Amino acid sequence: MNVLDIRGLTKKFGEFVAVDNMSLTVREGEIFGFLGANGAGKSTTINMVSSLLRPSSGEIRILDRDITKQSRFAKLNLGIVPQDLAIYEDMTAYENVSFFAGLYGLRGTQLKERTEEALEFVGLSDKAKSLPKNFSGGMKRRLNIACAIAHKPKLIIMDEPTVGIDPQSRNYILTSVRNLNESGCTIIYTSHYMEEVEEICSRIAIVDHGKIIAEGTKEQLKSTITDVKDIRIEVKSAQPAAAGVLKAIPGVRTVLQEENVIRIHSDAAVDNLNRILKQLMDDGMEIRSVEEKEPNLETVFLTLTGRNLRD
Amino acid sequence: MWKDIWFLVIRTLRATFRKRSTMILYFGLPIAGILASLLLYGSQGATELRVGVVNGDDGQTIAADTVQFVQGLDHVKVVNVTQQELQDQLAASDLDSGLIIESGYSESVRSGSPDHIAIQSVKGAQVTAYMKSMLYGYIDNVAAMGRISAGNDAKFQQLYDRYRSADFKVTSESVNDTSTTKEMSYQSIGFLLMFMMTSAVSLSELILKNRENRTYFRVLSSPINARTYVMANILMNLIVMLAQIVIVLFFMRVVFRIDPGMPVAQMFGILLLFSLVSVSISLVIVAFSKSTAMAGALSNLIVTPTCLLSGCFFPISIMPDAIRRVSDFLPQNWVLQSIEKLQSGEGFAGVWFNLSILFAFAVVFFLIATYKFGRNNDTRNFV
Repeated sequence: MNVLDIRGLTKKFGEFVAVDNMSLTVREGEIFGFLGANGAGKSTTINMVSSLLRPSSGEIRILDRDITKQSRFAKLNLGIVPQDLAIYEDMTAYENVSFFAGLYGLRGTQLKERTEEALEFVGLSDKAKSLPKNFSGGMKRRLNIACAIAHKPKLIIMDEPTVGIDPQSRNYILTSVRNLNESGCTIIYTSHYMEEVEEICSRIAIVDHGKIIAEGTKEQLKSTITDVKDIRIEVKSAQPAAAGVLKAIPGVRTVLQEENVIRIHSDAAVDNLNRILKQLMDDGMEIRSVEEKEPNLETVFLTLTGRNLRD
Repeated sequence: MWKDIWFLVIRTLRATFRKRSTMILYFGLPIAGILASLLLYGSQGATELRVGVVNGDDGQTIAADTVQFVQGLDHVKVVNVTQQELQDQLAASDLDSGLIIESGYSESVRSGSPDHIAIQSVKGAQVTAYMKSMLYGYIDNVAAMGRISAGNDAKFQQLYDRYRSADFKVTSESVNDTSTTKEMSYQSIGFLLMFMMTSAVSLSELILKNRENRTYFRVLSSPINARTYVMANILMNLIVMLAQIVIVLFFMRVVFRIDPGMPVAQMFGILLLFSLVSVSISLVIVAFSKSTAMAGALSNLIVTPTCLLSGCFFPISIMPDAIRRVSDFLPQNWVLQSIEKLQSGEGFAGVWFNLSILFAFAVVFFLIATYKFGRNNDTRNFV
């Protein structure tokens, strides 16, 4: 069964097309990775799924019901974990969760139980009576999640839930995501951390310029770029012009320079490593290490979009 | 929908009024407004006139009787001083006025042409008028006796003695002066109008505050829609203002015992109508603001000046005509006009036009806010 079905979705802001005839399906029980660089159309899509933005055209169905025609049903089955914290700093953790759960019609004992469950789930039971302004970044993120899950939605959209937090809180959240999924929730997960997506997502879509440019399991996505090799060269002091020169070498598709590390995606069939290294040395760069890696999701993303996910 | 609205109202009220400082802000300040009115108008009661007397016609009965007459006047306290002391104490405001009786005064009165008497004051007619009118009446009577006796001392003395010992029957009736309490209640309401408007903006600003902390968008992604959310804000606003009105009227009538000079129920009705206007204005301010800071600035620009021009802080009667004409376009003025009319004895039917104008203000502002809210679209920043 499809939990989310997007067909021909388009959103225009004046002349600018933010989402361009997008079609997408998320099946029940999936943790669906939704990847895209900033401005790719990811947030606009999520806003439309959350009924915060009206599509210019197209159709969105949640649990097989059109969200414009049965908005209440769609919203009751949807939980949103926004990237930026959306909690009341002057209300306790308990009051925050209870307030947002109450918006979904929960009252009385049921509201109390669900609130306690949600706080328990994110590990904040002992902080129920504390104000979020005294919380660490990770605790606030967990509270942000609790506010979205107390009403037990079928579909949860998590937008960058681990951004800017310590590794311990990140692990806690990733475990929570898996546990939520195991309890029957379908999750749409966006992140700038490719390793997270690779670790927890069962299927992934890559969006660029408002369109889905690739979709499938991580293995399927990786298999689309068997013709590409991922070379990482660490130099002593990289020169800014290096990327431009390297792109002229036959077989080189993309060159990314991150401080002293130069990442090159090149045609696997073209043997050009020596030429690349020679070029760098000719330009006065001292090579420290060379590594040819198996393609991963980041390689796929770079190859398909020409951009880094953090761009 | 009403269940959702009520849920939002209760939760927001609880969160807002958790702090004691908020309670003081919303309910303490309007009470402080009544206290301010008490201080402003409470000191306007009967005051004592301090009169310094320089009696240079010493030893003369008529001069002594004149001083005694002044002494006997209500609210007048007489102090015997020298000429120099009089000048000094008038200049230092230790005395309000001075009565100078020069030598020859008694003789001039006896001859029928009063002279050698003067009243001095640095505070002008408002201080001297009362004493002048009373004193001159007395002197004229004695001078008339002098004219009738036509220089016959025995006859004058006979007339004068009879006048002094005359047994007048005076019937007095007390009239309760309600003007001060009316002014107090009028001014208390003036302050209340300002606090109602400020509170309304402050509560409507919660919409902006929740946009800034993004909870607004989380609310909108739930089954609550924007209309329900704004309606809950309006209802919460009206509840707070209703409480403000009840508290102020209670304190005014029961605690401070100020008689508003009109039925309290009518005052309550007018203020309730004004609460609708306040909410509608606050929504316009919020609809046109992109941040709480901007709403605060707009509120400062709108609320205080319009209250000032409408007579919320001092009676509009002291303002020039041009400003009075401007105040016709301000809802606060229509409330105060209605209260003034009702205080002056007009029935509720006499203020129907004022109430209709107030209602029209509310409708127009609500429509403007609705139009502007409909065109706002800030959701792109949510996720």
